[in-house]
Amino acid sequence: MASIARSALLRQATAAPITRQSVIASSLRAAAFHTTSRRSLLPPLPQRVEGSVNDPAPVPDPSPSHGSYHWTFDRLVAASLIPLSVAPFAAGSLNPTLDAVLCATLLIHSHTGFQNIIIDYIPKKRTPRARRIFTWGLNAATVVVGLALYEFETTDVGLTEAIKRVWTA
Amino acid sequence: MAALRSTTTRLLGSARPAFRLPAAAPVRGFAQLADAAQESATATAEPAKLKTFQIYRWNPDTPTEKPRMQSYTLDLNKTGPMVLDALIRIKNELDPTLTFRRSCREGICGSCAMNINGTNTLACLCRIPAEDSAELKIYPLPHTYVVKDLVPDLTQFYKQYKSIKPYLQRDTPSPDGKEYRQTKEDRKKLDGLYECILCACCSTSCPSYWWNSEEYLGPAILLQSYRWLIDSRDERTAQRQDALNNSMSLYRCHTILNCTRTCPKGLNPGLAIAQIKKQMAF
Repeated sequence: MASIARSALLRQATAAPITRQSVIASSLRAAAFHTTSRRSLLPPLPQRVEGSVNDPAPVPDPSPSHGSYHWTFDRLVAASLIPLSVAPFAAGSLNPTLDAVLCATLLIHSHTGFQNIIIDYIPKKRTPRARRIFTWGLNAATVVVGLALYEFETTDVGLTEAIKRVWTA
Repeated sequence: MAALRSTTTRLLGSARPAFRLPAAAPVRGFAQLADAAQESATATAEPAKLKTFQIYRWNPDTPTEKPRMQSYTLDLNKTGPMVLDALIRIKNELDPTLTFRRSCREGICGSCAMNINGTNTLACLCRIPAEDSAELKIYPLPHTYVVKDLVPDLTQFYKQYKSIKPYLQRDTPSPDGKEYRQTKEDRKKLDGLYECILCACCSTSCPSYWWNSEEYLGPAILLQSYRWLIDSRDERTAQRQDALNNSMSLYRCHTILNCTRTCPKGLNPGLAIAQIKKQMAF
């Protein structure tokens, strides 16, 4: 972050006829002060208080499928990946069914991971359109990868066997 | 725990008694007390221990002017040991326009929460590092709207605190008509939770709270939420859990644990949030 601010300042400074020493000194001072980037990527908006200052913040409706169930499902998927990814080392290669299970679990795991990133960094309140675009983009990507993995599993050698062959190639 | 431990060692490690009360000192502030102490000890003629404080300044009366860092230099021999003592001395003697919140000066009110040398802490519990001569940098709590200088706007923080209904909710009266009793074990569950002073150090150190403070409750409020969730006398546990059961309120916590690292009271909001998640999982 600081490096971006610094380069911008250096560019400004080189336009004006100042000696190199003072350029570096001033840019360092300014870089130390600006802790955030100058790029206007979601800059902070003016403060807006919903309702009066004495009202409680609104409580959203309960939706366990986005809350506790989602969290538990996430943990179960992550935990089940451990034996699934260790098994091929023990057994050499997996049979097609277990291989398909590994692929599906990996896909779900990465889908929920990316979903978390989108929810964190593309706020629905502020950028509803970008949020929709990214959510559906992720869904589309997951479907495409899912289809590709299906093709690979059914018509080719399968994931673990492919990794094994690439590894020893 | 780390924060608590370091504070205690710093407290215990003071070689020089900070305040010596002379016989007839007009009690006004710590700076004056320390000055009087210094006057009584002038015979030793200590060399001046100068320390520079860089403090964030922004005045709402001139909103177009950019925030700036202003330097103040103090003689540490004449100043109390804590950062708050230095701030009070600066305000009394160097610059009366410097604005900051303070009240109890002993870490129980949570008013003087600020970012000191990159760590959110209470100015009254943070010892001035006397051994290194580097400048001490003081900012308001990060990612807050600044009212003036070191005063952050905590409106949203308090609104969120109100939204979790931080009070005992109960319908059945106690069997003997006296107070609601708990077992010692049930009472023990509240230790490490009730001590929270809501200084907002943890919430404003949490990156998740920086990005989503409109909807994510933040570690301080979730710690308080847990305090009521496990209270054996409270009868609204299910409703309290329902209020957290969505994608934003609780589950934006990604166990970054900045909250636990920064807590000036040595509490563990990260653990409390993990307990809520566990409680709601099955």
